[in-house]
Amino acid sequence: MMGKAPRWVPIVTWIFAVVWIVPLLGVVMTSIRPPQDTVLGWWRLDHVQFTLDAWFKVWDKYKLGEGFWMSTKLAVIATLGTMILTPAAAYAFQFLRFPFRRTLLIIIINAFVLPQQVVVIPLFTLWRQMGLINNVLSVLIPYVGLSFAWSIFLVKNFLEDFPRELVEASKIDGCGPITTFFYVVLPNTLSSITAVGILQFLFCWNALLIPLLFLRTEAPLPVIFAQIAGTYDANWDLRAVAAILTTSVPLVIFLIFQRQFAGGALTSSGSKE
Amino acid sequence: MSQVALTSRGPDERESSQVRGGGRELTPLRRWIADAPAAYLLLLPVLALFAFAVVYPLIQTIILSFWDIKGLGKPKFYGFGNFVTLAQDANFRQAVVTTLTWTTCTTALSVGMGWAMALLCSMAPRQTLIPRVLIFAAFGVSEAVTGYVWIGIFRGDAGGLLNSLLGALGLGGLAHPWLGDAQTATWCLIAAYSWAQTGLPLLVIYAATQAISRNVIEAAYVDGASPLAIMRYIIAPLSMPGVRVALFINLLGSLRAFDTIYVLTGGGPVRSTETIGFFMYRESFTQFKLGYGAAATLILLAAVLIVSIPAIIQRTRTTT
Repeated sequence: MMGKAPRWVPIVTWIFAVVWIVPLLGVVMTSIRPPQDTVLGWWRLDHVQFTLDAWFKVWDKYKLGEGFWMSTKLAVIATLGTMILTPAAAYAFQFLRFPFRRTLLIIIINAFVLPQQVVVIPLFTLWRQMGLINNVLSVLIPYVGLSFAWSIFLVKNFLEDFPRELVEASKIDGCGPITTFFYVVLPNTLSSITAVGILQFLFCWNALLIPLLFLRTEAPLPVIFAQIAGTYDANWDLRAVAAILTTSVPLVIFLIFQRQFAGGALTSSGSKE
Repeated sequence: MSQVALTSRGPDERESSQVRGGGRELTPLRRWIADAPAAYLLLLPVLALFAFAVVYPLIQTIILSFWDIKGLGKPKFYGFGNFVTLAQDANFRQAVVTTLTWTTCTTALSVGMGWAMALLCSMAPRQTLIPRVLIFAAFGVSEAVTGYVWIGIFRGDAGGLLNSLLGALGLGGLAHPWLGDAQTATWCLIAAYSWAQTGLPLLVIYAATQAISRNVIEAAYVDGASPLAIMRYIIAPLSMPGVRVALFINLLGSLRAFDTIYVLTGGGPVRSTETIGFFMYRESFTQFKLGYGAAATLILLAAVLIVSIPAIIQRTRTTT
């Protein structure tokens, strides 16, 4: 921007941002002050005292430890699944010729508009018949299956800028389509695969509806949290800690990888020009 | 014949088919299936999982919506019965009204606020880095946690921030059990969700403003335009592509939202804050009316498809 911006511009944005962060500040304060001091509001400063009691007690009160482990396991496996399977598909759609290529591609990349609500009822009946309720596969299959709608689009979009000459050259040198993929294309797609992995990890970690329905005994963190958050349980301090723990991992990853997240989210929603 | 077909597909194509055929020209059919075995091998796991997790459930949801299924009872074919019942169900009509209010308000508020912030930030990019990150951070909070965070604002007892704030301003008479009243609970949800969703429009539109050519802005500056005029006549109009993208993403997100509603109000009080995406959960998974829930889901899908038409057309057209 040329010239001096009026002085009120940064002031207004700062005020806006500080107000924005107040709800989160409330949760943090509630988690580190003794509950009797925050009964009348976490902002009251008549007794200022800090304690990490709630941070220790919460693990016994709620099954957060198991939830944390379950969330990690599900998010890591589903993320790896998507990261491994997507590049091969994107390469096939971009560089190989085969019947129904365009039809299949159009169906897959347009599925990104489908809400998860559309798939849960039939999957619920199917998992019940197959005895897969409470099995991790019941959530891993939809996590990975649903991700292709945006992940293939994202990686294929990236491959559109990949020089076709390189692929042709490797063919002349005698590489088959699969060898070309592993030795020429795959090593050059790592940045787009990273973006796919970050998005998928965040989606899987935060998922609520699918595990809520299919994983009843060993639930991941958001499901455990949603069940204690909605009840009118008086443990405001413990629940505040649970809230922070639930969102800590995705929030940190999100803030570290903001740039990749933004690029990935934009491309996968079809807005990259 | 085959020569014509080859040249019409460009020199690039002919070259590659000669390479693969070892100097011999391939017939159109052979070229069409040249890479098929390898391609299907690479695609096999993806197609299988996609069929399992997306195609089969989608078709099955459509089929289920024509059946009357209650709990573990025997399914009965019901024709359009579920849709007729939906049209007469007061709860579903309430859900449609809530969905419309919720979707338009959350999208308008989050994109509106994000746009305003993005334009302000574009006037002073360096001084507004931290505010941008703070607003964006709210978008990184899990949706379920967002619901909980806002319970702390709207709760009716002494620990609720909104009521205390009203009391401190001498407006104690306006204190209210915000989440317990059907009239206000929807607005609480809208506030919470808009708060969380403002980060993305801010980021997307801010990025659009940063992509504007410096030359245009410099030219206006040299011609004596004030910062506000540059904002009004150059940056705001040129940020429109970003605004359109943000509108679409947030519209789609609001229609499919579930988590924040589940935690903040659970659809209550008395089912007044259920959107269609929540109504289907309630009918299918707490009352086990699977066919009825599937019919409601199709209404949601129709709404989603209507708002996605431009995106789908664009995607299909640009796919090669």
